[in-house]
Amino acid sequence: MVSKNMIEYDSTSPVKSDMNNCVESGIPGFDKFISDDENGIGGIPENTSTLIYGPPKTGKSVFCYQFMYHGLSKNEPCLYLTTDYGIKQLQQRMMDFEWYLQGYMQDQMVYIIDALSSLSGTKMTDTSIYKPSSVQNPTDIMVKLGVGTIFVYRKSPKFRSIFDSLKILLAFNPDMLVVRILKAYIKRIKEAGGTAIIAHTEGTADIEIEEVIKKTADNVLRLDGELIKIERMPGIRKNEAQYQITDGGLIVL
Amino acid sequence: MIKKSFIPKLDDLLGGGIPEGVSVIFCAYPGVNSEAFGYQMLNGRLEEGDNGFVFTNIAEPDTITYEFNSYGWDLETMLEEEQVFFVDGSSHFIGAPPNGRYIIEDYSQIEEAVIKAIRDVPNGIGLINNLSTLIDYLGNEDTLNIIKKWNEIAKEKKTTLVYIFTEWDYDKNFIDEIKNSVDCVVHLKTIEERVIIGQGFMVAGASWTKPSDIMVLFFVMQPGGVKVYIPKILVTGPYNAGKSSFVKAISTKSVSVDRQALGTIPTTIAMDIGHLDYKGFFADIFGTPGQERFDLILNVLSKEAVGAFVLVDSTAPETFGRAKEMIRKCRAEAIPKIIIANKQDIPGALAPEKIREMMKLGKDIPIVPAIATEKKGTTEALDVLLTLLYGD
Amino acid sequence: MLPVIGSGIPGFDKLVSNEKTGIGGIPENTSTLIYGPPKTGKSIFCYQFMYHGLSNEEPCLYIMTDYGIKQFQQKIADYGWDLGSSIENQMFYIIDALSSVSGTEVVETATCVSSSVHNPTDIMVKLGVGTRFMSGMSPRFRSVIDSLTTLLAFNEDMLVVRVLTAFIMRIKEAGGTAVITYTEGSADTKIETMLKASVDNIIRLDGEQLVVEAMVGCGKRNAPYIITDKGIIIKE
Repeated sequence: MVSKNMIEYDSTSPVKSDMNNCVESGIPGFDKFISDDENGIGGIPENTSTLIYGPPKTGKSVFCYQFMYHGLSKNEPCLYLTTDYGIKQLQQRMMDFEWYLQGYMQDQMVYIIDALSSLSGTKMTDTSIYKPSSVQNPTDIMVKLGVGTIFVYRKSPKFRSIFDSLKILLAFNPDMLVVRILKAYIKRIKEAGGTAIIAHTEGTADIEIEEVIKKTADNVLRLDGELIKIERMPGIRKNEAQYQITDGGLIVL
Repeated sequence: MIKKSFIPKLDDLLGGGIPEGVSVIFCAYPGVNSEAFGYQMLNGRLEEGDNGFVFTNIAEPDTITYEFNSYGWDLETMLEEEQVFFVDGSSHFIGAPPNGRYIIEDYSQIEEAVIKAIRDVPNGIGLINNLSTLIDYLGNEDTLNIIKKWNEIAKEKKTTLVYIFTEWDYDKNFIDEIKNSVDCVVHLKTIEERVIIGQGFMVAGASWTKPSDIMVLFFVMQPGGVKVYIPKILVTGPYNAGKSSFVKAISTKSVSVDRQALGTIPTTIAMDIGHLDYKGFFADIFGTPGQERFDLILNVLSKEAVGAFVLVDSTAPETFGRAKEMIRKCRAEAIPKIIIANKQDIPGALAPEKIREMMKLGKDIPIVPAIATEKKGTTEALDVLLTLLYGD
Repeated sequence: MLPVIGSGIPGFDKLVSNEKTGIGGIPENTSTLIYGPPKTGKSIFCYQFMYHGLSNEEPCLYIMTDYGIKQFQQKIADYGWDLGSSIENQMFYIIDALSSVSGTEVVETATCVSSSVHNPTDIMVKLGVGTRFMSGMSPRFRSVIDSLTTLLAFNEDMLVVRVLTAFIMRIKEAGGTAVITYTEGSADTKIETMLKASVDNIIRLDGEQLVVEAMVGCGKRNAPYIITDKGIIIKE
């Protein structure tokens, strides 16, 4: 395991980040919205975990798709853990925004762990970048995540990671176990140098659990359908802005 | 009577095998394939003619049968012949058709159902997959009590009880209590350098023997199951740093392939290959060529390696830049590395800490002084490697 | 372009139509939750959705938990709709989960099976068979659960959420489009949020207004509606 100390100390680190240590979100207006006033350049801080939460249908998944797709277009691979939609629906939903995943799958730029499709009763066959798992089996999800991080890390030490979302896991497992999975997930991605986004539907866990979930991530953003709010992002002041979901994805106004 | 575990090397670590009626827990760091261990033990015992059961709360019985199948093990026939059965703690909770001798419709029924199952397979084997999921439903205290009760009955019935346990972020004391409640604890660990680059198992304790503290690296094949993994260890470094001598010094046997170019200083143009057998740790050693034009080989090899020795000639600071570049290549592939400050016997050799300073190396990267030609410092280097790989 | 299918409700497709293309309907291969207080026309929405599909040769897999097959046929007849030929052509697949509970016998056929609201597992098994039957008939079909409310009354809440998740997965994988009803307030807020989060589209009926709270490819919309002897009609 690498201590933080070493990353800072050793100048040979290949995880050479951009000058501002930020990851572009791909959401028009968003990076500017969260930019801190001193540096003037924004984006999601690299190698952090960001929780995006809010009521149902407020664009959390769209945020995830957009974030992934933008990364792919910049040659940053993505590790995608999907529990809300099977692979087919994921592709279909992205296509609604004219984001096409197929090519990136062929180029092995995206690694997908599909924990939902098995529920449909069909046995999915795995490929080098597609691993079926089960929402009932967190141990198996973590095994596949372990293999997935190696895969994307070797593609590029600068990679993105999405976990969409906690909701179905909460329906199939005890709440506390879901928190444990979340912690293990964040640890795994951050150690590998990735930048993680986790989506969560507000109100699908008890209040105490929701508080723990919020504490687990470095950054917390809330989407309520009209406003996007920075609830926590170290070094960035709390702020809110209006947003819209358009044919081209989210736009922060 | 001693039973086999059917996990390669595990019986050796356990003084020959597993006595009847004991409980074994596989404690896995999240990310390690622990289920394969349970499935493999169960399958082995069934094939020997013993009876068994699987308690599942992580997948419907059909899915588990399918998993067995993907390992190449025929659970289906044994289910039909009632040599093995399920305690189905999954189906009901997801609205799938239950399928097992005992069906759980409420978590309060688990204790009794598993007790019945244990009694059904005297001298056999029972698999509990997964203990972690049980804990958050039942609470710590109740889970501990249940485990103790199950283990007692298993002892009485001479049934082997195997638990699959993923060590999420539970309270340390609680994890200790769980481990103290069973006869044998096997840790399933990861070797990490940013990502998981290897997996190993190690026996942390067994009530009937003093287990050896060797970590056995493994990988899981489908089909095939748990196999012992002989990892690759790289020996790299700039031209003329002493890699060949080092490979020779740490290997039980070694050979240089394609040694052709003989100039004023002989150099390896392909590689030195050796085999390491140190304190029960086996590995294949690959000494890579130092010249830049062979960097491609370095890239290929470092993808498969779990550790690297980077040799530097302590008397030649002008080569440190090149050494640094080679470290970077290994770093890119995320493998733990150790710097060997070689040729310490030659006048003018720099001390390890001086080298660290000149190379601007983080203090987490170990530097070991050595004289490869005299096999000095090589044992120390190997010990450091094991510490890096095994973790704490 | 997002493919849509006709809802069968006069005025609805126009209400949710795309501003540019003018095309509207229920997005194909998605799941839609219809919720609201009791007696606001949720079931009627389902009848119309089902009937419109059948008239367009789209088969329908119908899970009824609020009424048995006999009452269902009576209600449909009240609106002057005839299911005779669809049943004959095996275009209409019924899982009747109520009759067995109310003590009414169901005459089972190849496309009409009896299950029980007490037994979600059995419903799921029959759903599996039904889905295979549907996808064998047509690559595009409709499916209805009317309603979740009864299931919630007889089973653990979270189990119903899991069953719903599996239902939606199965229908979508097979190429179907699903409509699910739920009576507002019959489960706690957490479960209600789970239900809303589990579907793609959400429509609320309150007796006067039809509110599209969420729909793929279309923002929020709403319009007044009335229930007539021809079913729901959206007013301009």
